[in-house]
Amino acid sequence: MPLDTSTYALAHLRLDGRRWNELRHLHAQISTQASSDGSSYLEQGNTKILCTVSGPQEQRRNAPGGRQQQAGAGSDTEAQIVVEMNLAAFSSTDRKKRARSDKRVQEMQFTIAEAFRGTLFTNLYPHSTITITLHVLSQDGSLLTACLNAATLALVDAGIPMSDYVSAVTVASAPSSDQSLDEVDPLLDLNGLEEQELPFMTVGTTAAGTGEGVEGEAKIMVLVMETKVQMGRLEAMLSVGVDGCRRVRGLLDDVVRTQGRRVMENKIS
Amino acid sequence: MAPSTTIPLSPAELSYLHTSLSQQPPIRPDGRAPTQFRPLVAETDILPSANGSARICFADGTEAVVGVKAEVEPSPTTTTSHGVAGEEGADRGVRNQSDESGARDAMAAEGTGQGRNAWLDLAIEVPGMRDDDALPVFLAAMLTEALLAERGLKDRLYINARFHWRLYVDILLLSLPLSYPLPLLSLTTHLALLSTRLPALVSEKDEDPLFNDDWEAATHLYPRSTSTSTNNQNKTTKAPQKPPVTLLVMSVGASTILFDPTREELAVADAVLAVSVVAGEAGAMKVVALRTIDPPSRLTSAGVPNALNSTSTATSTSTSAAGSQSLSAADVLALREKDQGQSVWRPPRGGVSRQLVARMIKCVVEKGGVGEEVMEGLGGVEV
Repeated sequence: MPLDTSTYALAHLRLDGRRWNELRHLHAQISTQASSDGSSYLEQGNTKILCTVSGPQEQRRNAPGGRQQQAGAGSDTEAQIVVEMNLAAFSSTDRKKRARSDKRVQEMQFTIAEAFRGTLFTNLYPHSTITITLHVLSQDGSLLTACLNAATLALVDAGIPMSDYVSAVTVASAPSSDQSLDEVDPLLDLNGLEEQELPFMTVGTTAAGTGEGVEGEAKIMVLVMETKVQMGRLEAMLSVGVDGCRRVRGLLDDVVRTQGRRVMENKIS
Repeated sequence: MAPSTTIPLSPAELSYLHTSLSQQPPIRPDGRAPTQFRPLVAETDILPSANGSARICFADGTEAVVGVKAEVEPSPTTTTSHGVAGEEGADRGVRNQSDESGARDAMAAEGTGQGRNAWLDLAIEVPGMRDDDALPVFLAAMLTEALLAERGLKDRLYINARFHWRLYVDILLLSLPLSYPLPLLSLTTHLALLSTRLPALVSEKDEDPLFNDDWEAATHLYPRSTSTSTNNQNKTTKAPQKPPVTLLVMSVGASTILFDPTREELAVADAVLAVSVVAGEAGAMKVVALRTIDPPSRLTSAGVPNALNSTSTATSTSTSAAGSQSLSAADVLALREKDQGQSVWRPPRGGVSRQLVARMIKCVVEKGGVGEEVMEGLGGVEV
């Protein structure tokens, strides 16, 4: 699809039948694992992530091999956030067992930890560690996005105080390069095929602001772009991305409120 | 190999548990019957990109996901009883086929040797542990052993003389291993294998394998019925009905046998067995593998008998070393041995009697026994 512009130009429908600003089906559950402090399961299209959070807990003995990255300096003033991402061997189309020191994975782990260092109130828990474990069961595009969303939900479930949700979305530059810049619509929420073909970026924002927060000013916590795109398109992509994040935040909030309602009903009845 | 669980129970609690489990009938902490299992949640076909998948959540919150993927691999050409080293050629193909069928019939008498153990690749991922830690390695070995004990699975992976399926079973334990995770992983693997489908073969004989693109036409790895189907590769060996299941059985004292032990119950076990069973013909269960597991009770520390308790016997404040209270090491040992764990908890020593092992196995395989119950329960899961 991405390189075959004829069909897109005709009906403006992507391969999976979505329009340029439609998100994939997002389904999330919170508190899925009774044995962990916080857990969540999130599906964005075919990308399925399971996240568990443990902590804040006592500082573990020095990281056993292979875990060099640790975001959050100075553990005597604030909690340390450790992110572990585990890509299952069956997550992609080809079965591939991943080595622990995969650079791409380490980069994503660091990005996620940094993103949450900005929202979690880590100064309340000095000398402790918050561990976020992400199990990727199936990946079909927007991996970092889904990980951030799943981690947000799991952290909410764990009851760790935070200033706001971190919601993320991917946005790509339009399919063809010969259209004039004005008519071009950036594409929102990419699947695996689109990610391989188009230049895209991942945007993660909070909606910290006044009142309800949703109408407040969004702060960008994550902005990752590994491909090249024309400068003129960047602003459009960013604004579409931020708007998409707001919609995702609404969906995540619904999940949390549904769970809250369920808990209240159990307590009252 | 000792399962690595640190048990936060005091000698008094351990002794209490041991005594209540040794009663007739045993009193379990949660009030279950000796053969009663805790409820679990199971679902299959959760991964769109895997040939088969399953997820099981136990009642104590432990959770496991298994994904099965299959890839076509070229078989190494060998000079076996197939006659000659593999060569392409239509005219050779005909002769090869007759050689093959002749060889196959000869081998069929003893059970075909078409499958190879190396075609099954099982990997276990436990969070917080490296791949070469003791627990994942040991669990993988036990599960592989049970799966390969019967020829059926290996032979099902054979395509033709030049190609075969390589089956990758990736087991993901999603929560920290609170109790020994073997039964959880085994049940999840069982369901995942039951739901695994392989694409339907449309090519013939020894040519490069070509498969039907329609996933609906894919055949199950463990076919559903034994009715004579025309695409049976071999007439004499039946395709395997269901994959094996490994259960954890523990014993306390001389007579108590318990199933689905919790972490606390394992902490006072005298013997723990891992029994792998498979459903044979007419529903009879057959043991395919048996392993003993070092019970975690051996890692507990013994309580201090009253005679040795310095706080209860010290009366004088004398600092003299040669008081009547100080005992030599030999005396201490003698006192502990005489006590024999009657008044305080002592970690179990020695093995388990063969009669007890026989009784434990019988509990699993007898008609209407636990093995059948578990298989029935799993059969209720929609695959």
